[in-house]
Amino acid sequence: MRYSTFNQTNANPLGEPMFFGNPVNVARYDQQRHSIFEKLIEKQLSFFWRPEEVDVSRDRVDFQAMTDSEKHIFISNLKYQTLLDSVQGRSPNIAFLPIVSLPELETWIETWSFSETIHSRSYTHILRNLFSDPGKVFDDIVMNDQICRRATDISRYYDDLIFHTQLWQTHGEGDITIDDVTYHVTVRELKKKLFLCMNSVNALEAIRFYVSFACTFAFAEREMMEGNSKIIRLIARDENLHLTSTQHILNLWQYGDDDPEMKEIAEELREEALEIFTSAVEQEKQWAAYLFENGSMIGLNKEILCQYVEYIANLRMQAIGLDPQYNQTSNPLPWMNKYLVSDNVQVAPQEAEISSYLVGQIDSEVSAGDFGDFDL
Amino acid sequence: MSETFKVRVNQLPVIEVPADGSQSLLEALEAAGIETRYHCRTGFCGACRSKLHEGEVEYVNDPLAYIRPGEVLPCICIAKSDLILDH
Repeated sequence: MRYSTFNQTNANPLGEPMFFGNPVNVARYDQQRHSIFEKLIEKQLSFFWRPEEVDVSRDRVDFQAMTDSEKHIFISNLKYQTLLDSVQGRSPNIAFLPIVSLPELETWIETWSFSETIHSRSYTHILRNLFSDPGKVFDDIVMNDQICRRATDISRYYDDLIFHTQLWQTHGEGDITIDDVTYHVTVRELKKKLFLCMNSVNALEAIRFYVSFACTFAFAEREMMEGNSKIIRLIARDENLHLTSTQHILNLWQYGDDDPEMKEIAEELREEALEIFTSAVEQEKQWAAYLFENGSMIGLNKEILCQYVEYIANLRMQAIGLDPQYNQTSNPLPWMNKYLVSDNVQVAPQEAEISSYLVGQIDSEVSAGDFGDFDL
Repeated sequence: MSETFKVRVNQLPVIEVPADGSQSLLEALEAAGIETRYHCRTGFCGACRSKLHEGEVEYVNDPLAYIRPGEVLPCICIAKSDLILDH
């Protein structure tokens, strides 16, 4: 079934499932099958920010004062986040837009991806400030073994869905042989790939960012790298919203009346969905071990970070109807929450509690004595 | 003495929360010294998602996080009766 940018079939969008119905034609939001996606778009737009609005100039001094092991932690996390947002800035568009069937969901996917591109641009903003030539850091992302291992796992579900969607849209259902490999393409198989891909994206948004977030906020707790921390808070707020959207999609399939076939598939692939989640948790724990291989940082070590990953994984698993798998039921890093509260996130420097701004501010205290020689 | 509702959380001893809606349910739990889970505190992330076994709550903001039947988001609701919940 060939993709058309303006499908002229007169389908009723209120009767379409989220994916694999008719391609969207009119971008209309006056009526919605799942109004939540329209609300998420509005929320995301209200969150709009630009990296240049955050002053990171003081971070350079802090960075130079760091020990080598702390520098390793800081830079490795930025590299990993750069990878994650590079993937997320394009993949939802490429993988989901060709198969989406609801205008509000189509626009949500575009809004979501766009916000990830802002994150990518903010990593350049942060690194430009720390190094006169940030090129080496970026170049290493495709050469670093630890990062590449994660990239493989993150991109494979997307790549698989994208490739099979292309086969289906050019050849239709059936056995298709390309370079001596035969692919069995059916819509049901595609839906399975979509389900697994959505679970993988959900795990990415739910877990993969949080080791890095914890390190950033641990630096901020010591009043270090506060400009960076402010940017990461804005990113964390966005990621929490993206996570809500993937949770909605997974729950609508399982508990809503979106697509009965997806409901069956969700039941059938439950074990695989669980496996995607737990393997993401294991990979994040290995990442924590890599970060601290040269030594830990004040306020954080590998063990406590792994406990935090388990704690947050339990919450995220329950949110999509999976049973929590870990014993960690209390929050080992209670200070994380204050950085994740949406209300505390402010962009304008005069509104924020960041010391780099307070240090440079004009003395605003005025005493009666200052008016001593003042005559009218 | 202003009016209060009785709330039992995770089978801990019953606590009392103000009935005038001056505190969100999450704030009321915190004020009573219960260890809470939360992130955004504005109803979109779902980190505070709790199971409501008995009683009634009212939302003061539109919840954006997915809520299955029987679940509530304490960060944006207030108690409207005595409650029994798992947090």
